[in-house]
Amino acid sequence: MLLLNTTRDALLAPLQSVAGIVEKRHTLPILSNVLIEKQGDTLTLLATDIEIQIRTATAGHQDGSDTAITVGARKLQDILRALPDSAAVSISLDDKRLTVKAGKSRFALQTLPAADYPRMNLPDGDVVRLTVAQRTFKRQLAQVAYSMAQQDIRYYLNGLLIIADGGELRMVATDGHRLAYAASTLDNAVAQRTEAILPRKTVLELSRQLADNDDPLEVVLAGNQVVFRFGAVELISKLIDGKFPDYERVIPQNHPNMITFDRLPLLAALQRAAILTTDKFRGVRLVLGDGSLKLISTNAEQEEAVEELEVDYHGAALDIGFNVTYLLDVLNNLSSEHVEWRFNDGNSSALITLPGNEQFKYVVMPMRI
Amino acid sequence: MSVIHRLPDLLVNQIAAGEVVERPASVLKEVLENAVDAGSRAIEVQLEQGGVRRIRVADDGCGIDRDDLALALERHATSKIATLDDLERVATMGFRGEALAAIAAVARTTITSRAAGASHAWRIDGSDRSLAPAALNNGTVVDVADLYFNTPARRKFLKSEGTEFAHCDEMFRRVALARPDLALQLSHNARVIHRLPPGTPLARVGALMGDDFVTHAREVEAESGALRLTGLASLPAYSRASRDAQYFFVNGRFVRDKLLTHAVRQAYADILHGARHPAYVLFLSIDPAGVDVNVHPAKIEVRFRDARAVHQFVFHALTRALAESGAAAAGTPAPGAAVDAEETAPAAQRPAFASPAYPPAAARQGQLAMEAASQAYYGFVGSARDTPATAPADRHMPATPPDDTQGPPLGFALGQLHGVYILAQNQAGLVLVDMHAAHERILYERLKTVLDGRPAVQRLLIPAVFGVGARDMAAAEEHGEVLAGMGFEIAPAGPQELAVRSVPALLANAPVAELVRSVLEELREFPASEVVTARRNELLATMACHGAVRANRQLTVAEMNALLREMEATERADQCNHGRPTWTQLSMQELDRFFMRGQ
Repeated sequence: MLLLNTTRDALLAPLQSVAGIVEKRHTLPILSNVLIEKQGDTLTLLATDIEIQIRTATAGHQDGSDTAITVGARKLQDILRALPDSAAVSISLDDKRLTVKAGKSRFALQTLPAADYPRMNLPDGDVVRLTVAQRTFKRQLAQVAYSMAQQDIRYYLNGLLIIADGGELRMVATDGHRLAYAASTLDNAVAQRTEAILPRKTVLELSRQLADNDDPLEVVLAGNQVVFRFGAVELISKLIDGKFPDYERVIPQNHPNMITFDRLPLLAALQRAAILTTDKFRGVRLVLGDGSLKLISTNAEQEEAVEELEVDYHGAALDIGFNVTYLLDVLNNLSSEHVEWRFNDGNSSALITLPGNEQFKYVVMPMRI
Repeated sequence: MSVIHRLPDLLVNQIAAGEVVERPASVLKEVLENAVDAGSRAIEVQLEQGGVRRIRVADDGCGIDRDDLALALERHATSKIATLDDLERVATMGFRGEALAAIAAVARTTITSRAAGASHAWRIDGSDRSLAPAALNNGTVVDVADLYFNTPARRKFLKSEGTEFAHCDEMFRRVALARPDLALQLSHNARVIHRLPPGTPLARVGALMGDDFVTHAREVEAESGALRLTGLASLPAYSRASRDAQYFFVNGRFVRDKLLTHAVRQAYADILHGARHPAYVLFLSIDPAGVDVNVHPAKIEVRFRDARAVHQFVFHALTRALAESGAAAAGTPAPGAAVDAEETAPAAQRPAFASPAYPPAAARQGQLAMEAASQAYYGFVGSARDTPATAPADRHMPATPPDDTQGPPLGFALGQLHGVYILAQNQAGLVLVDMHAAHERILYERLKTVLDGRPAVQRLLIPAVFGVGARDMAAAEEHGEVLAGMGFEIAPAGPQELAVRSVPALLANAPVAELVRSVLEELREFPASEVVTARRNELLATMACHGAVRANRQLTVAEMNALLREMEATERADQCNHGRPTWTQLSMQELDRFFMRGQ
């Protein structure tokens, strides 16, 4: 029974956007499969790991009969990827085996019935809808996503907080040592303030798939789920149920001292200093004196790196240590020319912002070296 | 009508006996300790049927006066202390003055004693306290027969004769180890089990623990203020599967103390596989005023006035003694070498912790021979591959450890075996080195040295708050300074909650609450916590493992020699980070025996 006739590229692109979330190892075999559904001229591909589900629908597939079946996602993807770029591909289903034919190649794959495939239903309940440009959302994610915790037992930190409040969309992420905050303006204000914590995997998947253009992204928050729709993709994710820490309290308001840096020279200097830090805790000392900033690092072999930058600073001398990874992360993920650095003393947090921009804040705690 | 009345004396003593006289071994302990306290030079112990039928202890001590004999069997009567001041600085083994009374209440007891200067001896019968003249040269004979003859219920709890004898033997060993200056003899059912002449501590340890132990142990000798620790602690290769062979003496008194056990365990933490137990005989001397022995009727637990100082002292003294690797000292047996009394180097060669005289080992020295042979062809090593000289074995051992002219302890590399082992030739014979394990330990020790000292501390943006019990709460408050030294800044966040504001930077990504809880748990029990160091060391061990050379990496001879020299210079180089041996020695004797050379 013929399922569809198409080209390699036309099938691979949607498959790749759903197959990214399929985990390599499973106790539930069907979860390593992708659901292929043909109805009329529409081909739907769907993959899930129970927490997230991604679906793509493409039209224009005239041939073939209506059916639904699941097949190993990774194998299908590997086969298609290995075929010549625009090879014609036909897929048919015979006796519970899915046959992929392209030129003189033929692959027979085992299948599992579509009825057994777990699906997440569209959320019901109170619904908040937002529409933003993909580019805006993607950039905002990039500004904070690196601060998410990874496998922390405080599970609510292994994600990213989004808040829709009036005409503003805010994102916050923290791992307990540093915190990133970014805001953007919404075209249509939401009626009711809404908060949700997106799981880490969802955030990474969105960052990967969103396009760098002004096409719309629809976000629907409802109950304990969120739906993202963009292009041909619909991504449904569960939300992390937990209380995110009060981020406003940890953003310092009154740090007296401020220095403006050129971002790229500072980044380059830190990258050089980072070479001679100890692998596991990567401490770098910032020694601030009259008109100069020294970055000093030493490693386990007592080797030392010293970088000196000229800065416009004439306050009290200061010696403060940081995990250099935390500084590199923020400087790498910004795109502005300058950054502003506010601080108080060697024991309190430092605040990094963009000049003339209230929409980005990064707080990092020092390290006593 | 009054329902409360005084108990008869016999019953009181029988109740006390329940605590003091648990089994024949406890009778032996009390009587033997009395003999020691009497200033005896020679003590003879005779047991029958595991001590149940009879325990007879004869000493040549000061003896008991005729008038005192009756009093000796009374409760709370003793010559050992007189005032509270004495109690606070007890120097004798016993002091409670209740043992003999309790024993006399549950067994047929007679004491025969001749006080110094008395014209003849007197005997007292424990049952009716009747005195009669008796014949005895000097000292005291305590004879305890038919234990529990009048308390059959108790008798039912006794184990087999063999088991009860084993307990008595263990008790005898404890006293014998503590007092090597006394001549001691133990016989069971008229068969002599131990005959120990007075000698050095080392000789005594060798006689009781076996020469294997002595040759596979490191000598401990440390002093700090009023504290002094001496003795022998086994190398990891001699570790045991159970906790027997662990003897800790405080001022000559055998104790099994939690604090001391913990300190020893920590000292072995880095070199001993988790499931193994070290063997040791350690003597701690301390100002008697600094230790309270009146904690437990059997005096097996003690309490230290400055527990923290004692713990740290024992820990550091042992760590230092164990850190010196066998690779650095030629002549000591290889950690993985077969344990065989005939082959291991004699104890006399080691720096003895009292004097070099060591009769039991000397008697066995005749068979040791091959050192000199290997020495003869050692000279060729490094210059050429001459045919190994087969000089006849000289029948005595070098008295001092080999000096530099005999080359480095681990010798020089010959080549690599299947890309895994390094073969080297040293004075004693063939050395096999697991290069990955050895290199791993070298890197690990280097990382540890660098990171010791004040730790880097990561402050937390969002304090980790977690609920704790009252005991943890108190521990956090009490040990604030210790915790700060590790890098934890902890403050109460509520009546049942602690907030952690900073953590050691190396462990910044570990689950904070769980880490702090286990630190507090250890601090509650012991004055020092090694949880953080242990966690840190785990991390460093992983780093070292990744950094070390892998199997199948071809090394040049120069590289192999460099590794051998580094092993000699590295502490604890005998074991890899996981407690496995890093090298082993195949001596010329073993090889010769294998090839049946000269037979």
